[in-house]
Amino acid sequence: MSVKIGNAPFHNRVQDGIENDFMRKAVSSAQGRFRSGRRNAAEELGDWEDWRTLGEEIRSHTLENIDFYLEKLSDAVSNRGGNVYFAQTAEEANQYIQDIVKRKEAKKIVKSKSMVTEEIGLNAALEEVGGEVVETDLGEWILQLDEDPPSHIVTPALHKDKGQIRETFSKKKGYEKTDDPEELALFAREQLREDFLSADVGITGCNFAVAESGAITLVTNEGNARLATALPDTQISVMGMERLVPTWEDLEVMVSLLTRAAVGQKLTSYVTSLTGTRLEGEVDGPEEFHLVILDNGRSKILGTEFQAALHCIRCAACINVCPVYRHVGGHAYGSIYPGPIGAVLTPLLDGYDDHKELPYASSLCAACTEACPVKIPLHEMLIRHRQIIVERENKAPKMEKLMMKGYAKWASSPAAYKLSTKVAKPGLKPWTEEETISNGPGPLKGWTNARDFPAPSKQSFRSWYKSRRKREESE
Amino acid sequence: MKVSLFITCLCDIFSTNVGKDTVELLERVGCEVDFPELQTCCGQPAYNSGYLTESKQAMKQMIRAFKDSEYVVGPSGSCVGMLKEYPEIFTGDPKWEEEAKALAAKSFEVTQFLVDVLGMTDVGSTFRGKVTYHPSCHMTRILGVKDAPKTLLQHVDGVELVELPIGEDCCGFGGTFSVKNAAISEQMVQEKSEHITETGAEYLVGGDMGCLLNIGGRMAREGKNVQVMHIAEILNYQK
Amino acid sequence: MTIKKRERFLENLASNLGRPRVQKVERPQYSVSPQQNVYRGYSMDDLMDVLEKQCKAIHTDFINTDTTNLGKILLDTIEGYNGNAIITANDPRFQKYGIEDLFDSLRQDGKEVHVWNSEKGKDNQVFAESADVGITFSDITLAESGTVTLFNDKNNGRSISLLPKTYIALIPKETIVPRMTQAAQIIQKAYKEGHAVPSCISFITGPSNSADIEMNLIVGVHGPIKVTYIAF
Repeated sequence: MSVKIGNAPFHNRVQDGIENDFMRKAVSSAQGRFRSGRRNAAEELGDWEDWRTLGEEIRSHTLENIDFYLEKLSDAVSNRGGNVYFAQTAEEANQYIQDIVKRKEAKKIVKSKSMVTEEIGLNAALEEVGGEVVETDLGEWILQLDEDPPSHIVTPALHKDKGQIRETFSKKKGYEKTDDPEELALFAREQLREDFLSADVGITGCNFAVAESGAITLVTNEGNARLATALPDTQISVMGMERLVPTWEDLEVMVSLLTRAAVGQKLTSYVTSLTGTRLEGEVDGPEEFHLVILDNGRSKILGTEFQAALHCIRCAACINVCPVYRHVGGHAYGSIYPGPIGAVLTPLLDGYDDHKELPYASSLCAACTEACPVKIPLHEMLIRHRQIIVERENKAPKMEKLMMKGYAKWASSPAAYKLSTKVAKPGLKPWTEEETISNGPGPLKGWTNARDFPAPSKQSFRSWYKSRRKREESE
Repeated sequence: MKVSLFITCLCDIFSTNVGKDTVELLERVGCEVDFPELQTCCGQPAYNSGYLTESKQAMKQMIRAFKDSEYVVGPSGSCVGMLKEYPEIFTGDPKWEEEAKALAAKSFEVTQFLVDVLGMTDVGSTFRGKVTYHPSCHMTRILGVKDAPKTLLQHVDGVELVELPIGEDCCGFGGTFSVKNAAISEQMVQEKSEHITETGAEYLVGGDMGCLLNIGGRMAREGKNVQVMHIAEILNYQK
Repeated sequence: MTIKKRERFLENLASNLGRPRVQKVERPQYSVSPQQNVYRGYSMDDLMDVLEKQCKAIHTDFINTDTTNLGKILLDTIEGYNGNAIITANDPRFQKYGIEDLFDSLRQDGKEVHVWNSEKGKDNQVFAESADVGITFSDITLAESGTVTLFNDKNNGRSISLLPKTYIALIPKETIVPRMTQAAQIIQKAYKEGHAVPSCISFITGPSNSADIEMNLIVGVHGPIKVTYIAF
């Protein structure tokens, strides 16, 4: 059970992405919309940088004291009639949830969108014990019907077009109407309404839990999370252990940052704060509530230089500005967490063996770092990953290591460096034509497959400078 | 004012003209320019690839080279940005931390130096043509220089400056990224090239040689008739 | 209720943070507080303008009226939504603002009006599911985002604003505050004073929507498809 999706090698996944014209068009136009939406939302505030600073300070304080706040949260939830289970691993979490489903003899389970339940592979675990699981977020439902993993953490079916969706609905659900998005959504509403009304258990993730009062806050637009928590008699919410804030006053800041950074909305249609079970006399809401708090590899990030990666609020702003993501799409990352945050988090949660290429899938342009509403230094973390891959994991290619050893000698010896400025031109002569290299040797080949490389100047700068000085002195 | 030129290895080897123009430009605005010959490369190719030990060897050489300089000025946002990161890299190193701090504090990218240190907006150059500017990622996001190059370009007599769509997007260079993930890099630079074409500009101007080699190389391969120029070349142009 | 496997979990966190478990943590004074500056010093009328503008962005009809005309406007809105089955919260404010009689007149016209009744259990949900219109008051209204805040309880079921096809929020002017900051302060203060936090606090910002299909905005998915705010 892990964040990993698919088994194809990284470069094949990248190539598949690059060749997927529809996906690239969809992602590119989505990024365009996100870009302007987020920028407008930030500009309206006028002091976006202060908001980011505040967001970072809240997250940082919370993570520094996470044991304290989790203790408070669990007490608060328990005081309001909820059960809290601390799961060290995905298996433990799944086991606990399976037990509830079995005890309740639940036949139908409705789920609202949750990355953490994707991470632990909860759906498969529930099906093992005979529960019918229905994803109720429109995008997740499409993917579930099509047995496809998400490619984005906010709009999971971003890689699919309406024609493909119509096809899926008609094949799996007997849909007969057009590919008009409104019609497709209306069909989903009608189909899923039945599921909501007959569900025994509702499962949600958690955007932020308020440690002080025990409120679980869900940030959504479609209303499915509200339905999944209002109608079934049993509610199970699963949260990554870091998804909490100390108080309501912190909550509102984080929610404001999340909705703006994610979709450029001041608030999403629904921000729903749920505390414990339904109270006496209430009809809506669960009579039994379970909160599962999940570690699954997160705790080993604490106390390391990657701790700030746990500040992530899953807004996808970094994904939405990433030019690499735009060209390769989410599936190329081979993880349910794609994009820059995925390239940082995935090796931390699931090790370097399967994911050692991810930290290099970035030009280090730092657009991600600039977009992050809680100032996670994403591109610096990618560099740090590379250092670990080279120095601790010893997983860098041999040729590269040799070249870098050579680089160090060259760059630390002015004489060697100076010599190279002299021999660069003659050295590259065999590949040079009219001051251009269009089919270079060795590592230059990757470059010259797509673009020309200039021949070195006739005279290096330093030799020009030297002759100029001589001229000046003799004048 | 005494200024030491930090030429950067790419300009040293591939773009002597950019170096010449930077020297002349700085002299024209009244600086006394020297060129410490012990300088090599800022260490970025190794540092960004994860070779911390190797990169530090280069960095130490740079610290030694500019030890006596008053100001260090270079024609690259990315390489100067690297110098600015030395203090963090050498944090806790008793021998090098203070020297790293000193180098970072006196280092400036050339447009940053002209605008922020010398307080200039017009360097008195003339250049006729339709120009678009690519704000390189490290210049803007690592070094934090966003307005200086545009301010100077706007004051060049004869320049018609047109906005580059989604200019803030990376061109796909990324140092070793362009060879290690060449397929992705190719898509990125192709998109950048399309955006440049959309502007109808005759000249693409930038402040980082890496990006310019990348974009220029792509546009040449596509047979596009857009000339790529470093901002120092424009700022030093007279008629 | 039960808390399972907590100690080993939290001990591990503390140990990874390189310190013993902490017993007491003061929430720090953060270096900035931009949230306090949004619409600072705005009058009620200013905030009303902000709210009205924002409603356009969230695909919500907005009507600004007064208590005298509230009843008529509400009737018109219900009619505009072809409201034959209507569900409302059991809220004393309907009486306070003199619109309770209106439901009787609707009933006389042959419409079904169901007032949430906690004794009827799940029947409330069944009615709500097939209702055309749900009506509640807003407890706190956020001008910036165009959000009505509902403290759901046994008299104000969550379903009313959720299951019907359309939703009408009645907004007393005095409930309008600049943004979520003030709502959070009110909730936090109540909590500190020993009041139980409602089991559900719903911040509702217009109709339900989705951008899951090709990033096209679809208004109306699982929740109400149309929403009107009536401020008075």
